Amino acid sequence: MASLSATSLSFKAPSTRSTRISQVLRKASTFQSISFGRFQSSKSLRLQISCAAKPETVQKVSDIVKEQLALSADTALTSESKFSALGADSLDTVEIVMALEEKFNISVEEADAQNITTIQEAADLIEDLVQKKPAA
Amino acid sequence: MRISVMSQMQRSFSIDLPSLIPLQLPSHEVKSTSLLKRYSQLLSPIEKDGVDQMRGDELKKNALLARTLVRTTISRYQTNKEVDPRSLMFKKNVYGKPEVDWQNCNNQPLHFNISHTDSLIACGVTVHVPVGIDVEDKERKIKHDVLAFAKRFYSADEVNVLATILDPEVQRKEFIKLWTLKEAYVKALGKGFSAAPFNTFTIQSMPGTEGAYNLCKTSEVTADPPEETKKCNGGWKFALFDLADSHYAAVCTEDDQANEGAPTKIIVRKTIPFVEDQLISERIFL
Repeated sequence: MASLSATSLSFKAPSTRSTRISQVLRKASTFQSISFGRFQSSKSLRLQISCAAKPETVQKVSDIVKEQLALSADTALTSESKFSALGADSLDTVEIVMALEEKFNISVEEADAQNITTIQEAADLIEDLVQKKPAA
Repeated sequence: MRISVMSQMQRSFSIDLPSLIPLQLPSHEVKSTSLLKRYSQLLSPIEKDGVDQMRGDELKKNALLARTLVRTTISRYQTNKEVDPRSLMFKKNVYGKPEVDWQNCNNQPLHFNISHTDSLIACGVTVHVPVGIDVEDKERKIKHDVLAFAKRFYSADEVNVLATILDPEVQRKEFIKLWTLKEAYVKALGKGFSAAPFNTFTIQSMPGTEGAYNLCKTSEVTADPPEETKKCNGGWKFALFDLADSHYAAVCTEDDQANEGAPTKIIVRKTIPFVEDQLISERIFL
């Protein structure tokens, strides 16, 4: 089971997840048998890694970024697009985060807000927070 | 301590401590391709990559101008002979704040910080003390409701101050001024935004002064019920002023222990590297 985790974690994961990945690996090595019922975080982590932020989420984030930065509608944005490369300053980034909070009905910690640098990172954080919300 | 330097324009001027020299570069005034080419020759390969990463010609030009301004500004304030702006090396502190890497050429006590907007780039230089600078277009529109934004990110005291302003335009302007002051502080601190979340400190204007501000930090005292205490003693100095009539500029410097409480002299120059250099103002801030 531990080796299965290792292979699924070997492809590129978004940077925000890297600390949690190392925690899961450490947990795996200290226990002989791993029952997934006890490791809620590792089970959900594997699911999150195998499907990256949904394309719809990335699209919604892109739309909000375009609006905040007043980019033309045909500006080609990818998930790797960096806010700073698009001309966003810190005030723009904070406004983008506020717009994302409103759109997705989530609440972002200030430390996380300032650490978002790409569209992918924003989308991943959103899906993370949406998933953590108590079921309606 | 006084430092006399020769500028590139062959004028000499002296800088008294503690003082600060924001240089402003109006980016829309720089159009000549030969000049831009000359600027790009000053940049390191890493800086050139940084410029290339910017999406769009205007953003690329701004990034080029910013690096040019930093290099030419720092090199003109040397204590020894004139330094070739191309030879400067930069590094980042452990939190990512850019600094000069003096290598082994006797550690110069120069600190710098830069801020840019679409139409203006400002670089501040100080001697001995860390500095943070932030500039914003006075007319910048906030997409969200200003008070909602402040409630979300600013301190409770700052929200109260903004809430008492009835005119929405005046309120928006005060919001922007506060933003520049808070940004300048975090940049001067140099430890990243998580070291000083905006809602954990208040910047308030000092009554009876123009452009002088005070920093108050809120911290929770473990009591029952937990209380918030405010510490407004020094440590950091602030100045807020206009640039080119179109922008607000906020400057934050660490209060030098040797000169604690001493007034700050701020010299503002408008510059287009290799082309022009103009003294705009010299002001003392208490």
